Amino acid sequence: MKTRFFSSRLDNPPYIHPYQAYLFILPGLIIYAVFVLWPILNTARYSLYDWTGFSDPVYIGLDNYAELWNDDDFWLALQHNAFFVIFYSILPIMLGLFLTALMTRRTLRGMTLFRTGLFIPQVMSPVVVGIIWRWLFAYDGPINELLLALGLDGWVRPWLGDFTWARYAVGGVGVWVQYGLCMVLFIAGAQSINTDLYDAAAVAGANAWQEFRHVTLPGLRQQILVAFVLTFIAALRVFDLVFVLTRGGGPGKETIVTSLLIYREAFQYNRAGYGAAMALVLTVIIVTVSALVMRLQASEEDAQ
Amino acid sequence: MKSKRSVILLTIVALLVALAPAAAQDEVTLVVWDNWTRDAEQAMIEQLNAEFEEANPGVTIQREAYDTSDLTDILPLALSESGGPDVAMINQGFTGMGALVEAGLLLPLDDYAAQYGWADRYAEGLHARNRFTEDGATFGEGNLYGVSNTAEVVAAYYWKSDFEELGLSIPQTFAEFEAMLQTIKDADKTPIVFGSLDGWPAIHTWGAIQHAYATLDELDAFMFRREGGTFDTESNLVSAQKMVEWIDAGYFSPGFEGMDYDNQTFGAFLNHNGVMWITGSWMTGSIIEELGEEEIGFFVIPSAIEGAPPLSIGGVGLAYGARATTEHPDLAAAYIDLVTGPRAAELLFEQGFLPAATVDPALLVEGTLTADVVEAWNTISSQNAVGHYLDWTVPDIAANIQELMAGQVSPEGFIQDVESDYQAGGM
Repeated sequence: MKTRFFSSRLDNPPYIHPYQAYLFILPGLIIYAVFVLWPILNTARYSLYDWTGFSDPVYIGLDNYAELWNDDDFWLALQHNAFFVIFYSILPIMLGLFLTALMTRRTLRGMTLFRTGLFIPQVMSPVVVGIIWRWLFAYDGPINELLLALGLDGWVRPWLGDFTWARYAVGGVGVWVQYGLCMVLFIAGAQSINTDLYDAAAVAGANAWQEFRHVTLPGLRQQILVAFVLTFIAALRVFDLVFVLTRGGGPGKETIVTSLLIYREAFQYNRAGYGAAMALVLTVIIVTVSALVMRLQASEEDAQ
Repeated sequence: MKSKRSVILLTIVALLVALAPAAAQDEVTLVVWDNWTRDAEQAMIEQLNAEFEEANPGVTIQREAYDTSDLTDILPLALSESGGPDVAMINQGFTGMGALVEAGLLLPLDDYAAQYGWADRYAEGLHARNRFTEDGATFGEGNLYGVSNTAEVVAAYYWKSDFEELGLSIPQTFAEFEAMLQTIKDADKTPIVFGSLDGWPAIHTWGAIQHAYATLDELDAFMFRREGGTFDTESNLVSAQKMVEWIDAGYFSPGFEGMDYDNQTFGAFLNHNGVMWITGSWMTGSIIEELGEEEIGFFVIPSAIEGAPPLSIGGVGLAYGARATTEHPDLAAAYIDLVTGPRAAELLFEQGFLPAATVDPALLVEGTLTADVVEAWNTISSQNAVGHYLDWTVPDIAANIQELMAGQVSPEGFIQDVESDYQAGGM
């Protein structure tokens, strides 16, 4: 009846009860539960209280959520997050695809060097990225100098302080940071596409666009979905770049994002309960969208 | 062998047990959290700590330093722990000291204030900034929860060479000050170095104009949320219009909307890309480090109200307070007395800080930037003309001022926006 956990006789593999399998994930599960699940549950609980973070909590039911519903800043921040999805997610994926198409079409000399160079923005600390770009965007900085040199005097502006352009400037930095991840995912995916398909396309006389459209792109569907989930989450939780670039959402409220509001409410204005409610709503949005995309991915796998 | 070892062990244990209580009575560790993180500041506070330990045998100061924003973020939790700091530096205002008082985490210091005579350190109007009622709801009155050792005044640094070249002198009225801006502009120079990317410098620059038009009573009522406190005043509207007027006249650095404070604005002033810089006295040490004592002067901006003293943004720096549950309240008070007293003032002054307590006039050297700064502080504190940092009561006001400056809202709309924030509780 009893099964031994380890058997020295490999030709007679021991029967392992399914419950025993849970033992193997237990260490990771405990860490995950203590440092991720428990805090999330606690956040949900805090969101029902009026609590400074160090005072005696007062239970107020769903009042925090009712206040959130009427909080113009919160809706504005969500709109900005949605705007940043274009720059954190959609544009990097398009740029990543373009670079992948270039790099898989023919082997270039020093390919590794290009790939590494193009990936560097992704691995740099966001604070460093922010400081570099703040300098690039400065009124007497390189970008404006370049515009002057090109005779585009009318375009010179204080980019990060401009009510119209600040969000595009912050978004542009987002593209620069995120495309590297997409590119690497796509190049890896492209390498697993059957080369016969490319040969067939060549025989059929396909040009570069047709080859990309009918061979590379369909072969990368899974990778594109993965890249979308990862970059979408990044767009919704963006904090550090905005914190450094526009010092917390300026000019006015043009670049405030949800995570910035959560930080402000919970730690600066001592409203931990309200901040928790905001954090929970953001979590629900992220989980919902990710789940939808995952389902899309799963149904595609079934179809294949 | 074995029995011998146990005998030795037992002897050691017996000795420890016998000695421990005696040792515990004499040795006291006082935990202090402060925000002195730069080298020169560390040297200053370590010196004071050494003097305190010498004066109180058996006492050890265990000091931890954090930068101000970290300190503000983690202090509430630390103060609610039994092993937290006995003495800590506390930020003023409703979200800082007010929240701590409301949670019952700070020790009222009024008895010690009477014992040590802290009332004489600086004006009662400044002590009010470290006062809250016991429920943390009313700011500016009630118990004393802290004592400050530095002071701040927001005024104008200026290049003396430009004033000489253009024949300008320190303005005595606000009209003179404004005329001066136009003179400088006509000479093709930038009158005021300014950068608003960080938000808060906009509060100080607009606030400088606002303080010229406002009275202290108006500001006090607003800040301490007293009856009749409102942002919707004639003086606020006039100063909002004035700000827009100055921007249209080109009195500020070109592209100021995109300039940060620490590098670009400070750099622009050091590089002489403008004649004046309206900011706080806290930059004095850094300016002296780069340009010395002689090149730059400092003056308070005169009031626009006839005969009124030059009301300026300013106040006392972070306050030293004590944890409500400290086991050594007397010692904590003695420490606060030292670090906010005359000896500390002397050391602070040597490091280029503006002490809250009066500086010995013999230490001032005529014609130096340091002397100008001390004089500016004495001018406003002796005439009860120390104004307020608006973000203590309306933390989001920087965003409103940025909107005003960019023409996103009219001056009237700006007043309404801030007033509705204020009525909603400021947050």
